[in-house]
Amino acid sequence: MPAALAVDPPVAAPVVDDQALIAAVLAGRSEAFEEIVTRYQRAVYNLAVRTLRDSIEAQDATQEAFFKAYRALHTFRPGAKFSTWIFTICYRLCCDKLSKRKRLSGDELPDRADPSAGPELLAERNDEALRLRAAIDALPEKYRAVVTLYHLQGKQYEEIATVLNLPLGTVKTHLFRAKEQLRKALSQ
Amino acid sequence: MTHDDDFADLDRMLAALPLEEPPAGLRARILTSTVYRPAPAMKPWELWAIGTLVALTVWLLWLVASAPNAGANFVDLVGRVVEDGGLTSMTTMLWLAVGMSAAWWISQLSFPTTRRVRSR
Repeated sequence: MPAALAVDPPVAAPVVDDQALIAAVLAGRSEAFEEIVTRYQRAVYNLAVRTLRDSIEAQDATQEAFFKAYRALHTFRPGAKFSTWIFTICYRLCCDKLSKRKRLSGDELPDRADPSAGPELLAERNDEALRLRAAIDALPEKYRAVVTLYHLQGKQYEEIATVLNLPLGTVKTHLFRAKEQLRKALSQ
Repeated sequence: MTHDDDFADLDRMLAALPLEEPPAGLRARILTSTVYRPAPAMKPWELWAIGTLVALTVWLLWLVASAPNAGANFVDLVGRVVEDGGLTSMTTMLWLAVGMSAAWWISQLSFPTTRRVRSR
């Protein structure tokens, strides 16, 4: 697996780096933010949709994350990774939405797997990508987030730990257990 | 054998897993709420200033209205202003009427624009 899986094709070889784009936005050229949106909207949406397992809510979370980032861009620490920052904002928003959902309906208990995507359903899905997505969706929330970020950011465990606000060791443990569960689910 | 070796196949599958495409309108939604968001009619400090002034006014009004005999005092004050200002005198009222009508007539007059104004 590559050290950092490309978030979006333009991220792999950006013409202008994120820091320059952010500086341009802060200097008043707000259209530079369009390029930032182009680079990260797909990854942020994927993080949201995997965490929330709901496309409509994921769109709301993505929009809100970019809105918050845009408003707080002046607080962005130069030298930090924009992807880590926007993922952190998005993940916190998703956690808020999950908490609200849990309060309202008792849905999405953190350590409980989604019963809607069990082995029976997985068996019906022949396509590898679909099966893998379904298996990720079936993971408990804490494992799902780690695997999703591992998918988006590669083996950058420190970045994943920052986004999830977890110790590095916990991230590695969660990832190991998540992979075990994924392998088990895919072998069924 | 490391953990990475244990999960080599899974890592390969994860690496090959394509990202989901976001819905078509999402980019437009994001840009509308950020870059193309209309500028607010007032700046935050202006809102704060207006809010503070309104709050002060309401507080002063409440202070005046809640004073003992506020109604009677107010009527008394208005009476005194009218009396001291000479508003009960016929002559004063006449001069006021003349002044007001003159002001109104002057406001209705139109003056030809000067060359300097036209040249702008």
